[in-house]
Amino acid sequence: MAYKYFIDNREYVDALRKSGDLVDIMQEVDWDLELGAIVRRVCEKKGPAPFFHKIKDYPGYRAFGAPIATWRRFAVVWGLNPEASIPDIVEEWRKRTSGPVYKPEIVDKKDAPCKEVVIIGDDVDVFELPAPMVHDGDGGRYIGTWHFVVAKDEETGFVNWGMYRLAIFDEKTLVGPVLPFSDMGRIFYQKYEPFNKPMPVAIVIGPDPLSAIASLAPTPLPEPEFAGQLIGEPVKLVRCETCDLYVPATAEIVLEGELLPKVRLEEAPFGEYTGYRTSPRDKRNVYRIKAITMRKDAIMTVSNMGVPVDEGQLLRSFTLAMDMEQLLKSQGLPVTGVYMWPESTHHLLVIGVKPIYSNIAQQVGSLVLGSKAGPWFHIVVVVDDKTDVYSLEDVIHAICTKWHPVRGTILMREGAGTPLNPFASPEERFAQRAPKVILDCTFPLDWPKPLVPIKVSFDNVYPEEIQKKVLENWKAYGFKD
Amino acid sequence: MAEYDTFITKNFEDLKEEEEVVGIIRDLTPGKKKYKSICARFIISKDPNKYPDRLWIRLGRGQLVKDHPCSVKIVEMFKPY
Repeated sequence: MAYKYFIDNREYVDALRKSGDLVDIMQEVDWDLELGAIVRRVCEKKGPAPFFHKIKDYPGYRAFGAPIATWRRFAVVWGLNPEASIPDIVEEWRKRTSGPVYKPEIVDKKDAPCKEVVIIGDDVDVFELPAPMVHDGDGGRYIGTWHFVVAKDEETGFVNWGMYRLAIFDEKTLVGPVLPFSDMGRIFYQKYEPFNKPMPVAIVIGPDPLSAIASLAPTPLPEPEFAGQLIGEPVKLVRCETCDLYVPATAEIVLEGELLPKVRLEEAPFGEYTGYRTSPRDKRNVYRIKAITMRKDAIMTVSNMGVPVDEGQLLRSFTLAMDMEQLLKSQGLPVTGVYMWPESTHHLLVIGVKPIYSNIAQQVGSLVLGSKAGPWFHIVVVVDDKTDVYSLEDVIHAICTKWHPVRGTILMREGAGTPLNPFASPEERFAQRAPKVILDCTFPLDWPKPLVPIKVSFDNVYPEEIQKKVLENWKAYGFKD
Repeated sequence: MAEYDTFITKNFEDLKEEEEVVGIIRDLTPGKKKYKSICARFIISKDPNKYPDRLWIRLGRGQLVKDHPCSVKIVEMFKPY
């Protein structure tokens, strides 16, 4: 049975309008920096999402920025009250990701809004789409910032959806990095490029929000099935015009093409998820576009990566933490919670454990750092089960009072990293290496009990009857909360 | 006069002038095709009036060298692949 979900971007936009989480901008906005600047400021002010009705040079098109850059919007995606807490959203995620999996349903072209306009061959020109110049100094106009790329391993039939950034090079050419350890990278570098074969791809711009989340969350499932799991019923896909790939029928814009073997063109710089421009301009992968299909009055979706918080940081932090929680629990470890603050740009993972044996912090930290997701973060903070992993105050307090800078620091000098880490040296970025650290914020188990410091808190240093009396009389004392 | 920009990975002071280079320039003509990338052979001069077209230099992470407009002579444009 389907959960609450939005069949397309447009239903989601309407829901945000109703909840007060969207601003309709009716005046004309310039795609050259102005649009990007508005989206950036919205992210930094944690403001409502901008919906642009008029874009200079592009009559008939609209744009939607910062689609899921706040916890309120993320709650709306799940059909929750916008005021829902993070633990509420975690529960909804846990419920859906432990539910049944659904293979996608293939619909006919006539039932697919993304086929309302079809352009093939010589008429293809990606400059006819309102791709923004997102930041001053970017290497190009980034058409792919809130989108995903569909690719398939022909040998196994495995389909991957992934959010790999894309810039316009010329009318029929896009450029963007495909990292070797990414799912699409594994398919391309093992199954296509060694044989000089172009890999068919479809670029889905403006997907419905749950399909977008499926494309960037870690999962062992093929993403079309993962999307079905999140929705609670099969996601509806339609076949591409020029290749044997399938895309969400309600997507705003679809670009069909090929990832070219052994062709590289300059790409970047671009504002990245870390909040910096770290990776330099360099030769990166090239896509040749053969067809464009889209909805009438199509909506270009724009995510503006920069200083926190934007949707890339919020969603990747949330879903990586959930993935790590699942990994730790699958091993039977006594984990009480896992969380990543979006402000950490998914570089800092907090794990709550019941410290029932010595060196448990090293064990859980090593497990997550050695996982498939390990290259994406480098700081693991392990706290005990009395610490609320969602509370910044609690975690800061634990680090500052329980972490011993020498005994409690487990340093891994050489680990797998990415070229996007601002703190890494140029050599480390090139080689995709990064050091890692685990901060053990638990008291050693071999300390004699009388010597273990006692936490001085309301729920710890007052007898139960006193706590009960104070709580029952709280309002009578004159307190409003 | 057409206007372009290009990215360099070295310092502006090390930019080689009066030598034919193969690289990518971006067309800054206002309109829908602004920022279109073009593969080309071209010659740069730090004298902004020497060649017919304006060229702006950006460093490796997008920093515009705004105090030193250059000029460029495009010898040939060609397809990227």
